[in-house]
Amino acid sequence: MTAAASGALAPRLLRGAAVPLLLLAVWSAATALYPTVRTPTPAKVALAAVEMTASGDLPLGVLQSLGRVFGGFAVAAALAIPLGLAMGSVRGVERNVDPLVESFRPIAAIAILPLAILWLGTGTSAAVSIVAYAAFFPIVVNTVAGVKRVDPTLLRAAATMGVDRLTVLRTVIVPGALPSIGVGLRIALGVAWTAIIAAELAVGAKAGGGGSGGIGQMMFVFYAYSIELNRIVVCMIAVGLVAFVLDRGLRAILARLMPWSH
Amino acid sequence: MTRQPLRSPAGAAGVVVYFRTMAAFALAWAALSAWTANTALLPSPLAVGRAIVELAADLELFKHAAISLGRMVASLAIAVALAVPLGLLMGTRRLAEDLLDPVVEVLRPISGIAWIPLALFMFGIGNALPVFIMTYAAFFPILLGTISGVRGVDRRLVDAARTMGVPARTIMTTIVVPAATPSLLVAIRLGVASAWTAVVAAELIGAPSGLGYAIEWYRELLMTPQVMAFIAMIGLLGFLFDAALRALSRRLTPWAPEARAR
Repeated sequence: MTAAASGALAPRLLRGAAVPLLLLAVWSAATALYPTVRTPTPAKVALAAVEMTASGDLPLGVLQSLGRVFGGFAVAAALAIPLGLAMGSVRGVERNVDPLVESFRPIAAIAILPLAILWLGTGTSAAVSIVAYAAFFPIVVNTVAGVKRVDPTLLRAAATMGVDRLTVLRTVIVPGALPSIGVGLRIALGVAWTAIIAAELAVGAKAGGGGSGGIGQMMFVFYAYSIELNRIVVCMIAVGLVAFVLDRGLRAILARLMPWSH
Repeated sequence: MTRQPLRSPAGAAGVVVYFRTMAAFALAWAALSAWTANTALLPSPLAVGRAIVELAADLELFKHAAISLGRMVASLAIAVALAVPLGLLMGTRRLAEDLLDPVVEVLRPISGIAWIPLALFMFGIGNALPVFIMTYAAFFPILLGTISGVRGVDRRLVDAARTMGVPARTIMTTIVVPAATPSLLVAIRLGVASAWTAVVAAELIGAPSGLGYAIEWYRELLMTPQVMAFIAMIGLLGFLFDAALRALSRRLTPWAPEARAR
């Protein structure tokens, strides 16, 4: 059985690698047939990746962007989770606040960016506030949904036993809503990472390179000033890798914190 | 996910609450803008209202909205045309999934927005750039939704049909596609939301027209009421697009719980 399973694994790995390798080969061949100075090739991209990592530029940019993401994400969570809990458990709060949430939710964070630049300048605070705005809505919506999904029997049982509301919130509602809050946090972290790239790109584009660093800004400088496509591709790969690691990391943390949900 | 205020049993009361909340918001905004006393920084709600009326009267608002919507519809059509057949294939054929899944998983974490600098070189400034970015942004949610829809098809139906000698093509059109449609429609809504976010970023940086471009244009002129008018338009269109897709799901798949969810 195990022999058969491992026997099946090798061809699967081979099949999995086939198309990516084929695409890399096509990319190499195409750039070899039409060589220009700037066209990125796999070899040049790999070289650029090594250079940028060795010089510390790439890790620094990623860390700057990550710092903003975590800052904005923390602000969003600190506002959105209490609001979501209040909206989910008190009908009056939901009725009165929901119109506001639903009116702003369809407005993409990037659309707010020009206002953020106007109010806060092209520094870190504009980028952080865009991230916070982007991450806010998925957390609120999922927290409210989580609170609504708490088993009403438990709530009634607690009420019958005369447990006060604060204790009910702490011991029944929050644990019951946690899995859904976790989903909201995961969505929000993904959205936040996308938003920071957009914000840094646009800040770079609008501040004429005088922005405040980060990987999005780096991409813009490679695009507009030094015209290094290989390095842009390296940045794109880094963006993808960080997104992947963020999602897997948060998923692992949530699974540890809440083994009862999956 | 949350309950819709306008659909609650007390419909009229819901409308009253909605306007009460929005009026409170407008009042707070007006007070803040009177205190700031700087139209470029924070215009009053009335100034924004006037800007909306003016921009609507000389059709500029609708012109840019039509351009952005046109790009949106074009990219959505391309994304659906590519992602749905591919998703059906990957959902039903093990080989196709083994071959293509690695490519999808490598590209998916790289957000559409991260492609903007490279795409600027590939397409230049114009229609092709936002359409490419939006197609890319809409592609992955639709692909994954189609695959999971196909996976969710009741195996017994497929097996029963196969036992009765129904040809594979008929199984696909009469069992798999209808059963996967609810999940597909949800996926299209997610794709639209993700593409609509990307359009603003793409137009902000690399298009000579459209809502994102208009926002940036008026920001540079420091005409903040106009900036806010276009931001409101983006939110409104995003909301209407989603509402239209929800109505479509209710019509096409009235049996599915997803059609009623938000």
